[in-house]
Amino acid sequence: MRGLLKKYPLSDILFALISFSASFIVLSLIIATALVLYDESALAIHRFGILNFIFSAEWDPVREVFGAASSLYGTLVTTVLSLLFAIPVSIGIAIFLTEISPHILKTPIGIAVEMLAAIPSIIYGMWGLFTLAPIMANYIEPFLQKTVGKIPIIGLLFQGTPQGIDLFTASVILSIMITPFITSITRDALNLTPDIMKESAYALGATKWEVVKDVMIPYAKLGIYGGVVLALGRALGETMAVAFVLGNNHQIPISLFEAAATITVTLANEFTEADSDIYLSSLFYLALILFTLSFVVLAIAKFFLLKAERGYSR
Amino acid sequence: MIYNPAYVRRRKVKSLIALSLSTLAAFLGLFWLGFILFDVLRHGIEGINLSLFLEDPAPPGIPGGGLRNAFVGQLLIVFYATIIGVPVGLLAGIFIAEYARGTKFARTVSILSDIMVSVPSIVVGTFIYAILVQPVGSINLGGLIAVGFLSAIVAIIFGAILSFIVNRIFKITSEIAGKISNITISTLTVLFGIFVFLILSSKLVDKVQGFNGWSGAVSLAFIMIPVVLRTTEDMLSLVPWTLREAAFALGASYYKVIKDISIRAAITGILTGIILSIARVAGETAPLLFTSFNNSYFTTNMNEPMSSLTVTIFNYAMGPYEDWHIKAWAAALVITIFILFITIVSRAIISWRYRS
Repeated sequence: MRGLLKKYPLSDILFALISFSASFIVLSLIIATALVLYDESALAIHRFGILNFIFSAEWDPVREVFGAASSLYGTLVTTVLSLLFAIPVSIGIAIFLTEISPHILKTPIGIAVEMLAAIPSIIYGMWGLFTLAPIMANYIEPFLQKTVGKIPIIGLLFQGTPQGIDLFTASVILSIMITPFITSITRDALNLTPDIMKESAYALGATKWEVVKDVMIPYAKLGIYGGVVLALGRALGETMAVAFVLGNNHQIPISLFEAAATITVTLANEFTEADSDIYLSSLFYLALILFTLSFVVLAIAKFFLLKAERGYSR
Repeated sequence: MIYNPAYVRRRKVKSLIALSLSTLAAFLGLFWLGFILFDVLRHGIEGINLSLFLEDPAPPGIPGGGLRNAFVGQLLIVFYATIIGVPVGLLAGIFIAEYARGTKFARTVSILSDIMVSVPSIVVGTFIYAILVQPVGSINLGGLIAVGFLSAIVAIIFGAILSFIVNRIFKITSEIAGKISNITISTLTVLFGIFVFLILSSKLVDKVQGFNGWSGAVSLAFIMIPVVLRTTEDMLSLVPWTLREAAFALGASYYKVIKDISIRAAITGILTGIILSIARVAGETAPLLFTSFNNSYFTTNMNEPMSSLTVTIFNYAMGPYEDWHIKAWAAALVITIFILFITIVSRAIISWRYRS
């Protein structure tokens, strides 16, 4: 200690200590979250087990029997559907921004798309409830029923009376919300393709689309994966946008035009109403599952992005 | 391959179709943005008037009144969140970009905070609920932390002013006199900070009685910390290392280098990052649902449940009354304009500052 004091001035040591403890807080926050959530859900874990809880579709606060399957199902369906909608659009936008757009439009359109990420999710939810849901119920869903709904097996997905408050609308809103995440990462990755590679492809007589498809996208592959998985993590945890348009109905519907619940929606709607210990503990259990899921997904995204970064710098 | 016009044409048409679809996708993105903004503007403008900002809510179902309580609550919660979140994020960012640069520890913290940025905000809400709302009857730790940071900041400002005045009055030349005045000023600053903390905490912080404003501020700070940390780290790593080496060569300590070289060079970026993070948490709803909850009365007491704009929007939009819906749209318009304005301006500043 004395040697340290002789070598460095006191202000230096103090500042290093203070800033170290600040960065230590960041580490401990994430560990504390996991521990506290586990501790709070211990009662439910003990009562319902792990696999049993995940695969049980029963959610009955009156009989105090809880299972995560209905919420997990909603989360999975909305996430997968929103990715299906968002991936082609976002990659299309990224291609437009890197290859097609005139130089003068690149920045404004890029900023406009990123603005979609800045709009708070509660605004998406409200807009979804008051504007998108009626449009869905009156025009788009009946149209889908008349066309795709007539196909034998796929038609099952489009059954029921279109209400607008359902899995389908929620997925559309989610897809709008995650588009900017995929777009900006894909655009940055595409931009890193060396000009010399593109030029050699053009010299061989490739069309613009062939250059994009066979040179740029393979080059930017890892970055695109990272962006998609990051968006997946975002979609898993999105609460307010979905809470407005999903209806919080604990069931596992086959049709996409039915109300359902996701983990986040269940938490948002029932957390303050939980009147028994086991009810609250089960909700904490759901939060723990969501935390673990999104942590793993985001870690995978980060893995891809780091790997991509290393690849480009080589 | 032998030149075949039909084959070439097919490839060209394919390319044209694919590129048109991409352009269409870009217009789809713009369309959604325009649609949402236009809708918020169209509905929100109806409810914007002075009484929205100046009056408290009328009883449910009765038209009139405003959302003064929600505006004030939102400001207070975001203010205390900033007081906690910015110092922690800033210091942690400085540590991993300067002292721990390139170490495993720095990389771990950086990666973990990248993950923390995207952890579902509702999970943050449940975590804060468990530690700051559930333990009814114990002293509110969140409040103590917030007040602690507040008094530290006040004390540092006090110390800076004090040393400025002292340096103006006494022209200190000898080394010993400089040391003595430094020690006196630091002691006075620390004592002043403790004094402020004792007074403020006895006035502002109470025992936990259930949902309270402090817990809302802490949960927003939780979301803010990693954002501030990452921007600070990025901005500091953009400062050329040679700049620091020049200062080291003159015999400056690392603390002096950070204070006078690194931070000064990166200050525009760091400040813009902080403002962006404020804009980010200002729109958060999910972590406030179970922490600061909601309150239909006006209050500035952070120990009580406190209403915020976002939670009010949620409740009003889901409510049955037409008047509530109009107010929710108006609040949505205010919050959207605020966030978009801040985001656009700070992005413009960053791209102007880091053009090269």
